[in-house]
Amino acid sequence: MVTFKLNNNPVQVDVDAGTPLLWVLRDSLKKFGTKYGCGRALCGACTVHLDGAPVRACVVPIEAVADRKVTTIEGLGEGGQHPLQAAWIAADVPQCGYCQSGQIMSAAALLASNPDPRDPEIDVAMRGNICRCGTYDRIRRAIKDAGQRMRAGRSGQATAADPRKSRA
Amino acid sequence: MTLNRRQFLRSSGAVALTVAIAAPWRAGNASTSATANAYLRFDASNRITAILPTSEMGQGTHTGQLMILGEELGVEPSSIAVELPIRPSEPYRLFFGQMRSVGSYGIRAWHDPLRKAAAQARSVLLLAASDRWNVPLQELDAVDGHVVHASTNRRLAFGELVEAALALPLPADPPLRPASERRVTGRALRRVDTPAKVDGTAVFGTDVDVPEMLHGAVRMNPVFGGAVSRYDVDSVADLPGVEQVVPVPNGVVVVADTWWRAKQAADALDIEFGETPNDALDSTRLSDAMREGFDGEVPAVIRRGDAESGLQDASRKIEATYEVPFLTHICMEPIVCTAHTRKDHVELWMPTQGQDIIRMTVERVLGFGNEQMTLHTTYLGGGFGRKTHGEIAEQAMLASRAVGRPVKVMWSREDDIQQGYYRPIMMARLRASLNQQGRITAMHAQLSGPQMGQTFEHITVQNNNDMFSVASLIDQPYTENFALDHRHLDVPMPLSPWRAVSSSQNGYFLEAFLDELAHAANQDPVAFRRAHYANHPRHLAVLNRVAEMARWDRPAPAGRYRGVAVVASYGSVVAQVVTLRMVADQPTVEQVHVAIDCGRAINPDSVEAQMRGSVIEGLAVALRHEVPIADGRAQRSNFHDYAPLRIDELPEIEVGIVDTGAPLGGVGEPGIPPVAPALVNAIFQATGERIRRLPLSRARG
Ligand code: FES
Ligand code: FES
Repeated sequence: MVTFKLNNNPVQVDVDAGTPLLWVLRDSLKKFGTKYGCGRALCGACTVHLDGAPVRACVVPIEAVADRKVTTIEGLGEGGQHPLQAAWIAADVPQCGYCQSGQIMSAAALLASNPDPRDPEIDVAMRGNICRCGTYDRIRRAIKDAGQRMRAGRSGQATAADPRKSRA
Repeated sequence: MTLNRRQFLRSSGAVALTVAIAAPWRAGNASTSATANAYLRFDASNRITAILPTSEMGQGTHTGQLMILGEELGVEPSSIAVELPIRPSEPYRLFFGQMRSVGSYGIRAWHDPLRKAAAQARSVLLLAASDRWNVPLQELDAVDGHVVHASTNRRLAFGELVEAALALPLPADPPLRPASERRVTGRALRRVDTPAKVDGTAVFGTDVDVPEMLHGAVRMNPVFGGAVSRYDVDSVADLPGVEQVVPVPNGVVVVADTWWRAKQAADALDIEFGETPNDALDSTRLSDAMREGFDGEVPAVIRRGDAESGLQDASRKIEATYEVPFLTHICMEPIVCTAHTRKDHVELWMPTQGQDIIRMTVERVLGFGNEQMTLHTTYLGGGFGRKTHGEIAEQAMLASRAVGRPVKVMWSREDDIQQGYYRPIMMARLRASLNQQGRITAMHAQLSGPQMGQTFEHITVQNNNDMFSVASLIDQPYTENFALDHRHLDVPMPLSPWRAVSSSQNGYFLEAFLDELAHAANQDPVAFRRAHYANHPRHLAVLNRVAEMARWDRPAPAGRYRGVAVVASYGSVVAQVVTLRMVADQPTVEQVHVAIDCGRAINPDSVEAQMRGSVIEGLAVALRHEVPIADGRAQRSNFHDYAPLRIDELPEIEVGIVDTGAPLGGVGEPGIPPVAPALVNAIFQATGERIRRLPLSRARG
């Protein structure tokens, strides 16, 4: 039995020791936003936050998560309203979309420590996340936009309107 | 022309209604609804649902198709809900009589049928309002989901008119909105599937979860075409969660309560595959066989003008031989299918581009007809041609039948790469002659390699002309004196369309060769092509645009080298300029300029996204992708040895869209073919080397 916090809610799972966090999330807890892409920490599709730091859930055994905090795409922002998600919509980043939860989770960890990243810093933080559809330019653009939204939000300025309603 | 009501009804043809798909597996809309035609359904609460014929795999087709429908109908595209039909049927078939999302067809082939479907619905809505208000039809318009009578300022929501409207016969030939009324198509629109793809709620095939579902992982013979000789169920029977080991044609599905447990057991299973006829299959030997294939004569696929004597007489003859490797698709979402096989019905949930292929698989495996199948097409985490095949459905159906419960079978990344359907290897020998003015006077193209069409049940290869092998070469724009032949090599491996199919290799053969010809003619590669495009205005337009974007008229900056290529495929023409520099003898691509003529761009933002994605994929492929075969097995396994481009390798990409007034062209695939030749042509500028074999990592070491 392993206990941890998932998106701020305590959860308890009874799985084989050594089961990667990814499969606990997907098969036991039915959190399908976190994806399997390679199973070997090569693609980043399974990126989640463990105590705020980005990890590849496909190689994190469940024991390592005991009593810690896990955040997945489902818990990133209230109803998908994290500034990164708003920026992702504004830049219309996804193509197939399969890699995007992992991209956004890596980007969220980057912005938490560096709210105004430049391209080389973005590249270092994001190079573990493959996008096979090739959405990288828009990812860079959306990260910078989200950083701006977050900085504007912090200094009390109005944030952008609900991006789902505003269409280009 | 104004129609009165009687004339209007007289012009109406037979009513073509299909069964409404009232129970999509995810939506739970119980309100009464009415079907206008195969593609549109209305309900009284003003909800409009489109039943789209194309799978969404990242290409943005759903958004583009909604734009076409919304514009004609007079509603905001993103307010229309999307469903896919739960089995293939006539209205959704456009590709060899099949429902498939292939051939960059989504917009170019479906534009007219969808536009007409929306116009039909608009016609009867206007007619119903004209009855209700007793005003002439031509004074009405459909705007924002309402019928509007401007002069009296009256509006009625579609929902209030639907019942009366759909009781009217649908016109076979409804009036279409003129181009002057276009407000939607041609302008960038954000994709309708984006919100669900950024909050984790989009349901891909991997995310299907139905009650009582079990999970399957596979263990397959690593040698292509092999089977299983024995396995020992006891070796995994005691492992936690394991339910059953189910035999399938070339291996087994291990069924367990979670995928992780199924996978652990599949890996632990004691299994023997035995010898197979393909144990010695080896891509080096296949290369030798392709080269030997050039010996001797075969009938030409086409012969235009006088290629032979042109070539014999010419004073300058150039010849070069090129080669491309097997490629695999590495869709980000692995191969997956969920099936629930019952006594006389099967329900499938899967990310498929080939609904009719799945129907045929169901018939072959279970003996069930189309009506005994319910097929829920999910979002696809990438398709690229890979998800047209049926073996994963076969595995899931067999596993479900064996355990009597729904089973989701998913392949690992290793399974995906090693059990793929590969873009075929191919070799091309090109010969051409030049006259004194440096014009191409004749060309002879010879292909040697598999004829992929021979492996498809629904295709007959006639006269050696395999449509899956000759695209972008058979219609080369450079000379009237042209001959093409194809020497077939039997390759006992699963082969498949891969993004841009044969244009992916033929674009490279032709445009790398063109660069060699320009060099032999002592001409600038852009000027040389221009001189040959007198009768090819679309080629010329994209070439001129890309040359302008890349400032080709000025010398490249110091230490930078440029290459150009222009390839027509899928009804579009794309020109690209690659700019690179050499760092420690390896090319670093700094910029790629792209100009596309795809006719009118329905959603320019999607066109741009597809061009960027194609460049990024095309570069990875040209630089380092190949699947060598040794001992009958694929010699690649995961993203470390088959590595897509990462964000820190991203060049600057600029996209220009050119509209020459041509008919709608495809967009998902045509960006791929020019990448490799533009790249190798730039490398020639940098180093003087001709890269006649891809990928670069193999050609240059
Ligand atoms: S699935 Fe975890 S990094 Fe690829
Ligand atoms: S959007 Fe398809 S892999 Fe990134």
